[in-house]
Formats: sequence, structure tokens, C-alpha cells
Amino acid sequence: MENNAILKTENLNLYYGGNHALVDITVGIRKNRVTALIGPSGCGKSTLLRCFNRLNDLIENVQVDGTILFNGRPITGNDMDVVDLRKRIGMVFQKPNPFPTSIYENVAYGPRVHGIRDQQRLNAIVERSLKDAALWGEVKDRLHASAMSLSGGQQQRLCIARTLAVEPEIILMDEPCSALDPIATARIENLIHALKKKYTVVIVTHNMQQAARVSDCTGFMYLGRLIEFGETGLIFESPRAELTNNYITGRFG
Amino acid sequence: MDSDSFQRSREPDIVHRAEMSDTPVQAHSVFSGLSLAAGYAHSPFQSGIAALRDPGRLRESAMKHLWFSTAIVSVLAILLIIVFLIIDAYPIFAAVGVYDFIAGRVWDPAGAAPAYGILPLIAGTLLVTFGAMVFAIPLGIGSAVFLAELAPPQVRAVAKPAIELLAGIPSVVYGFFGLIVLTNWLRITFDIASGETWLAASLLLGIMALPTIVSVSDDAIRAVPRSYREGSFAVGATHWQTIRSVVLPAAISGITAAIILGMGRAIGETMAVIMVAGNAAIIPDPITNALSPVRTLTGTLGIEMGEAAVGSAHYHALFGVAVVLLAITLAVNMCARMILQRIQERHEGAAGAGYGPIRAGIDLIRLYTPIFLLIVPSGLLAVAADLRTAALALAVVLGFFLLRERVSPKISQKIAFGLITSSALIVLLILGIILFDIISNGLPALSWEFLTEPPRNLGREGGIGPAILGTLYLIGGAILVALPIGIGAAIYLNEYTTEGRVTRTIRAGADLLNGTPSIVFGLFGFAFLVLFLNLGVSLLAGQITLGLMILPTIIRTTEEALKAIPDSLREGSLALGATRWQTISRVILPSAVPGILTGTILSIGRAAGETAPILFTAVVFSRRLLPTSVFEPVMALPYHLFILATNVPGAERNQYGTALVLLMLVVGVYLTAILIRNRYQKTVTW
Repeated sequence: MENNAILKTENLNLYYGGNHALVDITVGIRKNRVTALIGPSGCGKSTLLRCFNRLNDLIENVQVDGTILFNGRPITGNDMDVVDLRKRIGMVFQKPNPFPTSIYENVAYGPRVHGIRDQQRLNAIVERSLKDAALWGEVKDRLHASAMSLSGGQQQRLCIARTLAVEPEIILMDEPCSALDPIATARIENLIHALKKKYTVVIVTHNMQQAARVSDCTGFMYLGRLIEFGETGLIFESPRAELTNNYITGRFG
Repeated sequence: MDSDSFQRSREPDIVHRAEMSDTPVQAHSVFSGLSLAAGYAHSPFQSGIAALRDPGRLRESAMKHLWFSTAIVSVLAILLIIVFLIIDAYPIFAAVGVYDFIAGRVWDPAGAAPAYGILPLIAGTLLVTFGAMVFAIPLGIGSAVFLAELAPPQVRAVAKPAIELLAGIPSVVYGFFGLIVLTNWLRITFDIASGETWLAASLLLGIMALPTIVSVSDDAIRAVPRSYREGSFAVGATHWQTIRSVVLPAAISGITAAIILGMGRAIGETMAVIMVAGNAAIIPDPITNALSPVRTLTGTLGIEMGEAAVGSAHYHALFGVAVVLLAITLAVNMCARMILQRIQERHEGAAGAGYGPIRAGIDLIRLYTPIFLLIVPSGLLAVAADLRTAALALAVVLGFFLLRERVSPKISQKIAFGLITSSALIVLLILGIILFDIISNGLPALSWEFLTEPPRNLGREGGIGPAILGTLYLIGGAILVALPIGIGAAIYLNEYTTEGRVTRTIRAGADLLNGTPSIVFGLFGFAFLVLFLNLGVSLLAGQITLGLMILPTIIRTTEEALKAIPDSLREGSLALGATRWQTISRVILPSAVPGILTGTILSIGRAAGETAPILFTAVVFSRRLLPTSVFEPVMALPYHLFILATNVPGAERNQYGTALVLLMLVVGVYLTAILIRNRYQKTVTW
């Protein structure tokens, strides 16, 4: 299982000032699979996710020790081109965060910043991304309307389309459904299923049923440690650690 | 039942204020009713309690009315200003005609055949302001981007207050620096007879407008939600692409407001302009000749008001000038207000409304970028080096601009960040040069005698003791006038009312007062206090004029302090059965003291440095004795510096000494305010 890991961490430690937020995380994320990270609030699952695209760089006082390998190459060094890294590892956030421009502009933003200016190519990318994000049918007649006029679920799918438009290898999702209603959540979950044909997905979620429904592998985190990691079926049916068992059976969390 | 309805009628506002639902209100009233009933049952002094309660009620209502009356002072003041200006300007409008007054090309009120055409003055004001903006907008936005996006926290912690300090330097000190250093430098650089030119005035006003532009833009940029930045970073945009395509467009309304506010400051400035603009009432020929002297509306008032005989056509013409000036500044400030309001509405009702302005914002950015990239560096170079270097630089920048589609994002980020960082460095360098010049030349003049003695030989010798004391008297009086009124108005606005027409009117009054040029306050003080109320040129007239001028600052900062106090504190006190006024006086005001203190100190700084409002109301150049009553005129530091610098040759040492003392006074006051703010920002988190 370690061999075809597209993303690997070895003894990863992260400190927010004096706070030891991630402790000795060693994990391998497999290609074209959906990996879920679960655990109670503050367990470090979002922090771990943000290590993968170096978004923690934006926060002051963060110190990272250990190795993260993306396609076998370390990404934690100062010489790493974080812009290129983020192009190849996209991210969808907890709250939909479309830019306050049109639907079209939101999706075209990524390709544009990467130098694509040809209008027809842009149109094609926008259409493909919106289709892949299962949003095309709903917005194809009003591509130039404000992204803010969409519903929350639509906005989140727009953010997914925005991520798909730059054709990343991995998509990180940080509790992408926590601000959505059940119907919108179901659509995003279906979308995640479809995405794994082309992409590798890592999803952080609060919702254990969601992890069970969408993921192939699951990691359970607690107080900054990765307690258990394995096939989703195994984790949920016969967890090895007692903590995991207590959490998924709802005794705390 | 009785006590219940009594409670309702007595404290109806609480209900609005806390926006409680119906049920808790009833619970609250019932609770009070119960406790009252319990009091009746227990107490043999029931009649005593009732009597004690009554004065309490009276006090509550008296307090409310008292604060209301303080709140409308600013509205009355701005109305009085407008009325008095128009009354005194009416004769000239009637005699010359409004159109000929505004469009007339000759201003010569003291000539054999007096001419009252203010077109050259309007042109002067507009040209000087335009020049100032060409210089200040790119530097200001660049510095704001540097502070908000690029500066490491430690650099920001120093650079931000340093740039805010620029705002604290009194305009007469800027004028003095401009007169001694800037005009001299221009005279030598361009080999012209006098450096007192449109260019000098624009450079100086640009510097003076910078802190406003930087501060407000910095706030606007930092208010852009972090999620926008993260969204952009997450698709692999570079930092500069994120700033250019996401952050700046989202902050564009705030930046535009910053520019307009900076413009307002430049249009309304008097003393600095008088000292460096040359003051010839001509339209530059050709109109692009930046080395021509110009005269502004404000400058005209500052220069001629002291010479015009009261009641003469000249006198009325000057009030006509003031009306035009007030109209221009108020229009500019209203624009800023409307834009800021639109932003607020957009932040509140984010859905759907955001698209139009942002689109416009992106277009505006596209407009600003070439200005930033082309005009400024070349303009600066043309001034600093020579035309050939400037042309070369222009070609390089232009080439980059045309090729930028092909330049890799990383290279363009390097270039952009280089320009942004250098703009912040330029601003800090300007601050450094001004401070160094004043301090290094002023220190030798300082001595105990200089600080305490009265001036001799027209100020060339002796000291500035009476001027220092006079300034302190003026400040003290202004604070005594403005503090109770300002705090009262803020209390009324924030604690006693809900948002509505009344509060909007009062806020509009305060905003308009805030946007009124200081020289207009001076004119109003002269017409209303000195002449109409017959106070004469006196300490009292100056104190009241300055007090009105700083009133809006005190209202605004106090209101902000009150707003920062969470409603839970109010509810906590009210739930214990405290009355509205008890809650305000014992819980709210003590918690708001740091904020109020900051506002007061900032106002002191402003009052200490202002010259224009006291020019015709309170000051004399030389007076050996201290005033024995508030009805006598006083000496004041800024005015003393102004006269020394413009009218007394050979007083250089004492000029610098006076400038340094004034600077230390004002900067010391501002530093105190900044320290208080930083200290409480750290310790108090609601």
C-alpha cells in the first residue's frame, strides 16, 4: 500500500508557537482513491490537510518538522515552488469561498493566472470543469451572473469547478459539506465518487457516515496523532484501537 | 400590574436596544415587579422608596434630554456655519452675479478697479490637488499594499505608526519645511527664480495626503476576507496575482474612499499651501506648467482675510470664496461617505450585490496600474535626476508593461513587489528627511530661556514662552468645550437611540463638520464669535472655534469605543435592575475610557497644530504678558512659526526651534495615543 502512495508523510510534526498540533504523523495517501480524515474538533485533521498544499505558510508562527513526499519528492523545503505545488494539489474549503465576480470568472481565474489567455480554450476549460463539478446544467445560461447569487451548495460545487479547472493531481477537501444542507451534501458526495476516476481526493470530515459513504481509506486522528489508518471498511467494522472504536460508536467527539 | 406598566413606560428603549424577544421582556418586567412588590411587603419605608424612585426617573429622562441636546450641537454648528457664510457672501453674489464670480478670470479685489473673478483660484485649487494626487495615489496605495500584504509583522509594527505620525505633523510645520527645504531644492534643480510653485504645493500636499490614503487603504485591504486569498492561493496563483486580481478589486471601494478623503485633505489645506505655492492669482500658462506659481481658494482666505475691511466688497468676496470652497469639500466628502456606505451595505448583504462594484473595481485597477507603473517613477526621476534618465526608465517600464503578458508570473511578481516596497521606502524616507531636518536644525535653538522667555526683536531673539502657554490655553479650552459635548453626543447616538432618521442626521452633521476645511472654521469663528457675538479677537473665540473643529473626532472615537463594548455587559447591568444611566455611568463609560482617551489625545494633537482656525479669532504675533482673561488675545506656537517663517527675515534659528517645539508637542501627544491604543488592544479582548 505504501508503494503507490502519491502523497506520504514521515514523522511529521507541526507547532503553532508552543502548541504541538501534529505529532509524528506517518501516512500514505494512495492515488485515485478517496481518503477520509476523521476525528473530533481540534484533532489536527485540517492542519494536516493544509500541510499538503503548504497553506499553513500563510499563518504566522508555524513550524513544520519531518518529511512530506509528493510523488516521491519532498515539499517542505524552502526551495519548494509552493505556487506550482498548489497548482498540482488543489483545495476546497469548509465554507464556499467563491470570489465576488461572475461564475465564469471564478472558474477561469486559475487557468488565467497560469497563463492561458486564448478565449476558446478558456471557454472549453470552464465548460469541462463545470460539467465535471455537476454544475453546468444549472448555470450554463447565466455564466456571467454573480457567483454570490448561487445557493450555498452551488457555490461549493463552483469552488470545486474552480479547483478542477487547473487540473490538479490531488484535491484536498476541508469539511466541504459542513455548511450545506443534506440534499446539497448528497450531490457533493456523488461528485466525490465520480472525481476519483481522474483525481486523488483527501477529505476532512466531521461526519462519520460521510466518511463511511465516500472514502476508500480512513484515518482517525486524536489530539494531533494519527491513531489508526486503513481501509474504510476495516476502520468502521473492526477498529484496532479502542479510541477509534469509542469515537465511531459515538462515545465521545 | 401597575409596576409592570410603569417599567414598560420607563424603559422602552432597553427593549429596542437589546432586541430582546417578547418573552424575556415580560420576564424581566415581571421580575422587577415582583421585587418591587416584595419591597412593598417588607418595608415600613414604602413611601420613602417611592419618593426616591421618582427623582431617579426624573434624572433618567433629564439625562436623555441632556445627551440629546449635546448630540444636535454638531448639526447646529454646521448649519450655523453654512448660514453665516452665505449671509456674508450674499452681497458679493448680488453685486457681481454668481456666474461672473465663479467664472471671472481676474481676481484683484484691492486694485483700483476691483475684480472679483475666482476662476484662477478654483483652477489653482484643482491643479494643486490633482498634482498632489498624481504623486500621492501610487505611493499611498503601494505603501498600503506593502503594509497589509508584504511587511513582516515586526516591520509593520514600526512602519504603520511611523506613517500615521506623518498625519500628526502640523500643517504649518510642513509649510515651514516646504518653504525652507523643498522650494529651495526646486529652485536649484530647475534653475528658476523662485521655487514657490504649483509643483512645490503639489508635492507638499501629496505628502500630507499620504497618511490618510495609506491608513484607509491598508484597512480596506486587510478587511478582504482571508478566504478570498486562500481560494486564490489554492489554485496556484502567485502572491502578486492574488493581490492584483483578487485582493485589490475586493478592496477597491475602500481604496477609492481613501483617495477621496486624501483629496479632501489636500483641497482644504491652507497654511502649507500659502507658504509654498507662490500665491499669484493666475491660471498657469500653459496650464501644464507645473513651475508656475498658483493661488488656491484656501490660500486666498488665509492671506487676505486679515487685510479686508469688515463689510467691504472684498470682505464679502472672501466669504463667497469660502462658500465655493465649502461646497467643493463637502461634495468630495459626501462622495467618500456614499462609497463607504455602499461597502458597508455590501458587507452586510453579501449575496448578489457584490458583482457590479467589483467588476467596476477591476476596471479601475486596470486604470490605476498604468498610472502606478508609468507616471510616478518617471515623474519622480524627472525631478530627481534628469530628463534622459527619466525617458530611459519610462521606456523600460513601458516595455515591461507591453511585454507583461509574456513575462512569467514570478518575474512580474518580483518587479511589482520591488515597486511596492520602494514606494513604502520612499514614504518612510520622506518622513525621515522632514524629521531629521527639523530636529537637527531645531535642537541648537532649544534652551530654558527659549522655552520660557517672551520673544524680542520680532522673534529673532528671546523665546517662545507665551506662545507655548497660549497654545496650551487654546488646547485646554477647546477640550473643555468639545469633550463633554462630544462624549454626550456619542452616548446619545450609541446608547439611547436606534438607528433612524435622527441618528443619520446627527452623524451627517458630524461628518460634514469633519470635512469642513479648517480655514472655514476660522472664517466662521471670525464672523460669528468675534463679530456677531462680540467676543473680539480673544482666547475664548479661539477655544470655541478649535473646540467645534475637533468635536467630530471626539464623537467618532467615543462612538467606536462604545460600540466595541459588547451588549452582554449592558444586559448584565440592566438585568440587575440598574437604570440606563447607572449602566452607562458605572459600567459602559469606565470600560470605554481608553478609547475616549485615544480620541481626546488625537484631538489635542490636531488642535495644537492648527493655525487657520485661530488666525483671525484668537492670536497675535507678539505679546509680552500672558492674557489675564479669556477675552484677550494670545500668542500660539503655529501662528508664531508661520509669521517667523514668512515675515521675519533672519530668524532661522528661532524658526527651527519653534518648529521643533511644536513638532515635539504634537508628536508626543500622538505617540501617547498610539501607546494607549496598542496597550489596550493587547490587554482588552472582548
